[in-house]
Amino acid sequence: MAGAKNHDYHILPPDIWPFAGAMSALVFTSGMVMYMHSDFFTNWQLVLGLGIAGLIATFFCWFSKIVSEAQAGDHTPVVQLHMRYGMILFIASEVMFFVGWFWSWFDFALFPSTMAEVIGGVWPPKGIEAVMNPFDLPLLNTLILLCSGTTVTWAHHCLIHGDRDGLKKGLWLTILLGVLFSGVQVYEYGHAPFGFGGNTYSSAFYMATGFHGFHVLVGTIFLTVCLVRTYKGHFTPKQHFGFEAAAWYWHFVDVVWLFLFIVVYVWGGWGAEYH
Amino acid sequence: MATTADTFQAHGDEHHHDADHKPGFFARWFMSTNHKDIGTLYLIFSIVAGIVGGGISGIMRAELAEPGLQVLGHVVNFLGGDGASFDQQGHMWNVLITAHGLIMVFFMVMPAMIGGFGNWFVPLMIGAPDMAFPRMNNVSFWLTVAGFCSLVFSMFVPGGTGHGAGTGWTVYAPLSTSGSVGPAVDFAIFSLHLAGAGSILGATNFITTIFNMRAPGMTLHKMPLFVWSVLVTAFLLLLALPVLAAAITMLITDRNFGTTFFDPAGGGDPILYQHLFWFFGHPEVYIMILPGFGMISQIIATFSRKPVFGYLGMAYAMVAIGVVGFIVWAHHMYTVGLDVNTKMYFTAATMVIAVPTGIKIFSWIATMWGGSIQFKSPMVWAMGFIFLFTVGGVTGVVLANGGVDDNLHDTYYVVAHFHYVLSLGAVTSMFAGFYYWFPKMSGKMHSEFLSHVQFWIFFVGVNMIFFPMHFLGLQGMARRYPDFTAAYAEWNHVASVGYAITLVSVGVFFINLIYAFVAGKKAPANYWGEGATTLEWSLSSPPPYHQFETLPVIEDHHSADDHISAKPATV
Amino acid sequence: QDQAVTAPVEAAVEAAPADAAAPAAAEAAPAFEHYGPEMIKGQPTPGGIGFQDQYTADGSYALWMHDAILLPIIVVICLFVLGLLLWVIARYNRRANTVPSKTSHNTLIEIIWTVIPVLILVVIAVPSITLISRQYKSPPENAITIKANGYQWYWGYEYVDNGGFEVISNMMPEEEAKAAGEPSHLAVDKRMVVPVGVPIRLQTFGADVIHSFGIPSLWFKIDAVPGRINERVLTIQEPGIYYGQCMELCGARHGYMPIAIEARPLDEFNAWVMTQPGGTTPELKAAAAAAEAAAADSEAADAAAPTA
Ligand code: HEA
Ligand code: HEA
Ligand code: CUA
Ligand SMILES: [Cu+2]
Repeated sequence: MAGAKNHDYHILPPDIWPFAGAMSALVFTSGMVMYMHSDFFTNWQLVLGLGIAGLIATFFCWFSKIVSEAQAGDHTPVVQLHMRYGMILFIASEVMFFVGWFWSWFDFALFPSTMAEVIGGVWPPKGIEAVMNPFDLPLLNTLILLCSGTTVTWAHHCLIHGDRDGLKKGLWLTILLGVLFSGVQVYEYGHAPFGFGGNTYSSAFYMATGFHGFHVLVGTIFLTVCLVRTYKGHFTPKQHFGFEAAAWYWHFVDVVWLFLFIVVYVWGGWGAEYH
Repeated sequence: MATTADTFQAHGDEHHHDADHKPGFFARWFMSTNHKDIGTLYLIFSIVAGIVGGGISGIMRAELAEPGLQVLGHVVNFLGGDGASFDQQGHMWNVLITAHGLIMVFFMVMPAMIGGFGNWFVPLMIGAPDMAFPRMNNVSFWLTVAGFCSLVFSMFVPGGTGHGAGTGWTVYAPLSTSGSVGPAVDFAIFSLHLAGAGSILGATNFITTIFNMRAPGMTLHKMPLFVWSVLVTAFLLLLALPVLAAAITMLITDRNFGTTFFDPAGGGDPILYQHLFWFFGHPEVYIMILPGFGMISQIIATFSRKPVFGYLGMAYAMVAIGVVGFIVWAHHMYTVGLDVNTKMYFTAATMVIAVPTGIKIFSWIATMWGGSIQFKSPMVWAMGFIFLFTVGGVTGVVLANGGVDDNLHDTYYVVAHFHYVLSLGAVTSMFAGFYYWFPKMSGKMHSEFLSHVQFWIFFVGVNMIFFPMHFLGLQGMARRYPDFTAAYAEWNHVASVGYAITLVSVGVFFINLIYAFVAGKKAPANYWGEGATTLEWSLSSPPPYHQFETLPVIEDHHSADDHISAKPATV
Repeated sequence: QDQAVTAPVEAAVEAAPADAAAPAAAEAAPAFEHYGPEMIKGQPTPGGIGFQDQYTADGSYALWMHDAILLPIIVVICLFVLGLLLWVIARYNRRANTVPSKTSHNTLIEIIWTVIPVLILVVIAVPSITLISRQYKSPPENAITIKANGYQWYWGYEYVDNGGFEVISNMMPEEEAKAAGEPSHLAVDKRMVVPVGVPIRLQTFGADVIHSFGIPSLWFKIDAVPGRINERVLTIQEPGIYYGQCMELCGARHGYMPIAIEARPLDEFNAWVMTQPGGTTPELKAAAAAAEAAAADSEAADAAAPTA
């Protein structure tokens, strides 16, 4: 009886990374506060750097462990099911996070302030002389992301049918499209006809698209990890949840973009001068 | 129906390298992947936070004991101020209530209910060996600790008129943005980010565990109600917290990076923050009470020696409370200038919640009806809960009326309402749960006598603190005031005396704890007898370090929603 | 250090901005006597346990709704639950009832305890909705617009229809309040004088952070929010002094920015207005406008004369 495990769940040994990760998060947020109040704190670079390094180390080591556990066969069907649930729920919470940003966008756009001169009771606000032409780079980006959605699905099909070559190609393409998207987005930010702060339009615009951009970055890294794992020979046609999670995440990022494109770029900029 | 606990009486000899083998101190408590150890950590953390938050409320009650400022100057000086100016004292008041509110909500009630009892008993009650994501479980806990640290940091850096964040637990803009210069509010905001991240991860963990790790035969409709309550709570956390995260991120960027979400000069709207906050905040209040509801259901059934009355109704009442809880948020904002239809809608929607809550109250009573009730300490606390929560709930219904709330909003009537549902509701249910399960967790019996004594002193004390606050509120006394006109002196004095009485009861609690650890009798597997039928009672007290290494099978006798009985597989 | 601790209220007033004090009333203006403490109507009673007496129609309705509907209902519900608990304790304890029943269902009773609360809520909802719609009646033609501006940490009352002057109102130091026979923490140096019986279009605005303009005895509370003007009609029924306080956390001196409304018959209100710099009444304004128009006319006539 002693210690005999008669179930398929994954019982883990003690691990330092949760503790290390939480403390890194604390160091990171404290570093952020110090950075934002660098008149009051010195050495914020050190603290912030330490926090970021700790977080990166945590993510790296933690996920490495998960990967090696997967390779060791710890991820029984029920454990894989856990991960599916976990990922879906995580994405659900992300959706609610974006609900917050869309909420503020709709609030500002539907009820533009009449008291603030930069707004002037109209949307896009008076202070915004021109907005980005949605049918220019944003449309291109929409196509890029949609395209990447198909390439990742292609990669998935190849994986399921044992076509490792196709898998690699599909992943490579997806990652490149992701990088391309981010590149275009950075270019767009650099040439935007309006700055970051000062009015609700640019605040809500940059925060919403910026957080989306951050998610693209995370998704790209996630896919890159899958690519590396593919080269290492991980994933089988039957068991490849790491890949699927990355693909789900990528689709989620894609859908958020579609909403951003429609709500922020097209509808939210309607009637304004295009840049 | 008798449990076959003895089969599970595990491993008497601790030196065996078996299921009960525990890692060394550091690995066990800092690197834990064990749901029971993490649950214990949460409970210890919650008790510490309870002492801090309760201590702060003591300072507050001392200040409010009579008109004038007597205490705040000393607090400022104690925290390293240099001769307390009037404004620094006023600011210190705001810092204290902010810290008190945040600590009690995020670092006392939530960690105890969900992190503590949830972690300990959800896996045990569904017959699972652990949580679905044991590592993530631990990061949830340490993120909560990190959040607490960030809040503590905030007390020692400038926050505007003095040190610390003096924004109220609601952190309303623009007081929290342009109105509070200095790093304190940023630390406080990040405190919420950290604790919130921990809770979101915890929520995914609970939902996954409950959906996927139920023992063979345990359908959703056979799950103990405590598990149901944690499931609903987890969904509320998962969907509400990210909205708060977005809102407070906007605070951060408004404060530091020039965005104007809540700054009217740039077209922003301070009321938007309130919508976002309360979209989270109202579900949050149910997050704080639902696990309590779950524990009360277990306890009432156990000590009445009867199955829960109307099990399905009880489960779906919680689901209904959770769902409706998402569409009533603006009842906290009746005076901000809502338009007339909005105000009417939120009035009507809010009142609806009284119906499922009433179903719960009456079903508990119906469970006792015809029962054979034994007044052990958890039962006494649970019955106290039913009454005190009802008092708090019905004043909620008064506040729900937008037109009436015009005169009660931000008065002590609101303070009375929410302490009745929290300090007298949630905390009472926590003590009920604690006495119910403490011997199970520790292996030691507490003193029934001391728990009863604690209950009665607590009951007198908290009612004395908070009942007069209704009078103060009706008379118009505003919240978040360090000082008041002479007419409010009497009832405030009574409240402060009540605090002293409550403090004695908390003292008795700790004496009881010490007694249990030093002299408590060894707890058998099922120390409450035949009324206790859920799976945790089939395990030794404390349960083996890794329980259910062979999954229990749930027998399908009686009807579906009858009591659950476990037939442990031979181990 | 101890000194600073014991003399907070004075400090609050000292620290108030110097420019906040309104200039002394114009010399030529007719004398105006403020009400003394015998006219105080809206204030808390020591040891009081209910709402303050109400001096508006909506307030009386709301008070009735609370005292006659809500309070009895909630008291009865609490006593009912308490009664059931006591009954259960007496009747179904282990000694009185050794064998527990196995009942865990009764559809009828479940329907009853769902439907009856619904009915109770409907009973509450009817006056509740009525109250809200009354509170939102739009201001009539003859309403006088007064704007309450919340500042950290004092109130400014802008008389929009009376020449646009602003009265800056600070809390009175405790000693002074006592000497004047007024309650401390509620008394102010300059009251918000308003006409009685005339609808006031009361607007609120937050100059820095959110404040809230709350008067318990008038059943009136509306937030003063930066970036938006809130508006509600207020009609006070009796002359008198009504105290209120800032009801939204607004920083260090949130507890020290009281409101004191002095409601006077319209002619006395107009007299008070005339004591204020730039103060004018609608009649005077109309007269002045007429005079100006006449002057303009004659000027125009003059200008036209040579060519004629
Ligand atoms: C555990 C936490 C908790 C719980 C459960 C509740 C429950 C409820 N709350 Fe409360 N509330 C808070 C915590 C909680 N609240 C907090 C913290 C605040 C203040 C936040 C701040 O501003 O800082 C607040 C503030 C608050 C307000 C805003 C007041 C204001 O600021 O002006 C309102 C207004 O509608 C309200 C309403 C209600 C209602 C209708 C319920 C209902 O769910 C209650 C339902 C229960 C019952 C009604 C009793 C049992 C039922 C029966 C016996 C059946 C028969 C009854 C009837 C037919 C009436 N609450
Ligand atoms: C769960 C929440 C909770 C709890 C328990 C309490 C408990 C108490 N609170 Fe308060 N309170 C709030 C939440 C809570 N409070 C909030 C949200 C606010 C609003 C803040 C704001 O305006 O921003 C507030 C505001 C508030 C005010 C108003 C301040 C103001 O507006 O100016 C006052 C005034 O007296 C007060 C007093 C007290 C007192 C005397 C207690 C006493 O009951 C305390 C006695 C101590 C205990 C009962 C705790 C004992 C518990 C343990 C030791 C842990 C046990 C652990 C286990 C069993 C695992 N609280
Ligand atoms: Cu002004 Cu509170
Ligand atoms: Cu609420």
